[in-house]
Amino acid sequence: FCLDQCFIFLIFIQIKMVPPGKPRLTSCRSPEKETFTCWWEPGGDGGLPTTYALYYHLENSETVYECPDYRTAGENSCFFNKNDTSLWVNYNITVVATNALGKNISDPVEVDVVYIVQPNTPENVTAVVVHDEQGPFVRVSWEKPRTADTRSGWITLLYQLRVKQEKDKEWEVVGHLYNILHMLKWSKVAVVFYIPRERSLWIMITIFSVFIVLILTWTLNVKRNSVKLCLLPPVPGPKIKGFEKQLLKSGKSEEVFNTLVIQGFPPTTDYDELLVEYLEVYDNEEQELVLDGKDLSEDCMKSKSPSDSDSGRGSCDSRTLLLEKCMEGREGSGSGSDQHQYSQHGETSWASTESSESQGPEPGSPESADGCGKTWPVVFSSPQPQTHHHYQVGAAKPAYHSVPEILNHSSPHTTPSNYHQLHHQDIPQQEGRFSKPACRHSQSYNQFNLDGVGTPAPGVPPSPSLEYVEVQRVNPENMLLLRPLSDPNREPEGLDCAGEDYSKVKEVTNNILLLQRDTSHQCVDYYSQDLDNQADQCTTQQPPHPCKPAVHQSNSRMPHEGMRVMGNGYVDSTVLMPSY
Amino acid sequence: MTQGSRLYFAVTVLMCAFVSINGVGLNDLLERASQLSDKLHSLSTSLTNDLDSHFPPVGRVMMPRPSMCHTSSLQIPNDKDQALKIPEDELLSLARSLLLAWSDPLALLSSEASSLAHPERNTINSKTKELQDNINSLGAGLEHVFHKMGSSSDNLSSLPFYTNSLGQDKTSRLVNFHFLLSCFRRDSHKIDSFLKVLRCRAAKKRPEMC
Repeated sequence: FCLDQCFIFLIFIQIKMVPPGKPRLTSCRSPEKETFTCWWEPGGDGGLPTTYALYYHLENSETVYECPDYRTAGENSCFFNKNDTSLWVNYNITVVATNALGKNISDPVEVDVVYIVQPNTPENVTAVVVHDEQGPFVRVSWEKPRTADTRSGWITLLYQLRVKQEKDKEWEVVGHLYNILHMLKWSKVAVVFYIPRERSLWIMITIFSVFIVLILTWTLNVKRNSVKLCLLPPVPGPKIKGFEKQLLKSGKSEEVFNTLVIQGFPPTTDYDELLVEYLEVYDNEEQELVLDGKDLSEDCMKSKSPSDSDSGRGSCDSRTLLLEKCMEGREGSGSGSDQHQYSQHGETSWASTESSESQGPEPGSPESADGCGKTWPVVFSSPQPQTHHHYQVGAAKPAYHSVPEILNHSSPHTTPSNYHQLHHQDIPQQEGRFSKPACRHSQSYNQFNLDGVGTPAPGVPPSPSLEYVEVQRVNPENMLLLRPLSDPNREPEGLDCAGEDYSKVKEVTNNILLLQRDTSHQCVDYYSQDLDNQADQCTTQQPPHPCKPAVHQSNSRMPHEGMRVMGNGYVDSTVLMPSY
Repeated sequence: MTQGSRLYFAVTVLMCAFVSINGVGLNDLLERASQLSDKLHSLSTSLTNDLDSHFPPVGRVMMPRPSMCHTSSLQIPNDKDQALKIPEDELLSLARSLLLAWSDPLALLSSEASSLAHPERNTINSKTKELQDNINSLGAGLEHVFHKMGSSSDNLSSLPFYTNSLGQDKTSRLVNFHFLLSCFRRDSHKIDSFLKVLRCRAAKKRPEMC
């Protein structure tokens, strides 16, 4: 009987003493992100006194530390103070329960402190019922938890107010407040927010638009003239080009009339034919150039100096004449040679005649021998050269053409002899006066013109007039001797017709004006006759210079269009000449 | 008033306005930046929770150590006393370095999220995309803050990310995705903390903000 009871008694005692149960970490928490506490629960002590130890190690090291403080946080807790707390690093925490019979280790827990932050409760939370004219409302006030360091921004607290009536089961969230206000006025509706961001944005927008407006105003002000012009364009009033009221006021009628004169009117057709060039003595630019003495090589024109004493002999092709003269000047030709180097006008001829008498063969004479290069003086030229090459100033038909400043033919009538003398006198003087080596003649010519002839009324353009010349004869040197038609010494027409008559223009080819010797009595002829003679003379004589056209530019166009054949068979080329 | 003086006056007014606005502007910029960083962190936390909802237990065993994060080499303050001693520009530079280090990895996460072997794949995908957008906005905002603060030196740490694939099989892809996300969650918290400290440091005029 005792054996059974003793057996049962023994069994009971053995079951009671076991090693401790496995502890379990229940939670870890950090109230302010500076310290944290972990709590565990024991698994069972196994009937014996059991001790617990918390061990931890950080994620990047194997060193195991034991919990520094088991008391502060209470039973079965471990408190990590500031020194033992590291942020953003995993704590591997285990709890070991030990008793006399053994120990037990809890499951490890990985803890990162920043994820277990849970602030303390707000302090001094009060709710007071306040009576207002709008009705009763509850004023709730609180303070932030003491441990939370929101001042430095270490933690940020967000408050949320919840209310429920006594009989309700659920809480109602009334308002959220981000961190600032600690007092919330609650009357079932009110929520207070502070959004500083939007206000500063509006301020910026306002300032910007003000700035833009200022810039626009300033720009408009600056450009107000053009804006006015754009919006209110001015109505053009009647106006004469070149005409100024000041001129009227100043009282000089000549100037006024001058401005009214339209250059280039009446219009003349454009004749760039050979004959035009041929007949044309010179144009403005060339004359001026020659006078300046600058562009000698190209634009200088020479006038051939016929050394014949006969009147009417003047070979005046504008360009070549001047050019040759200039060359001579450059070569240091003699003084006297200049005298007869007046291009283009009959003046040349008579001047040269005079000089040639005194000075003998001129450097220009060889050119006379060219023959073919000669052309007739332009109709244009000067007051009629007489046999003595006196100019009759103020003759019936002053033959000046187109260079107003140079040729003055409204000048008072002076005796030819005086004129001539003037000329001779002037020349030497001017030779010394003008130091320019080349084209002195031209200058002196010009000078001569101005001095001797007198000055016309300023600004009055010379009336375009023409001087008809006729070919007197062709001398053996293939030089056309011309004679103005108004020349009193000129033989009557009929007699001319009896003799050699070279005044018929046959044709114009290759820049050559071919004249025909007309031996018939019939002086009325047209230039359509054959002009072989001239050509023969050219070839037979074999002039040093080829039979080049005197005219530089011309085309092969027949001059018919521009020519008007006069009744006497001479070509009236006045209409061809462009007005300058 | 002449036109020239009028213009000068306008320019002066505008400059004064801008200067005054700039003083407030830095605070607002930091406020906005800290809000963005807060959003970043909360997004990453919710993503982690979504992933954990259906995570294979074997995955937790396979998970790499957190010290394996590519940003672990960056020296950062570990507690409050250290953090509050750091000057502002260094705090900003830490935040910017971390942010910069995550632009490439987030692109990888974004591309992998759509093919994840997870029942919450769509939610994860959309949240990852949102994460990427927020990171770009925050990066731009911090650039503004940097220029506003007028720091002399721009010492950003280089934290390169060399991985371009999460793995071959779907489990390892899932595990690596989880691991990358966990690294990012922690770094986003760092950024958020630094920026909030910076914000309260700069808001001396308005103490009620902090």
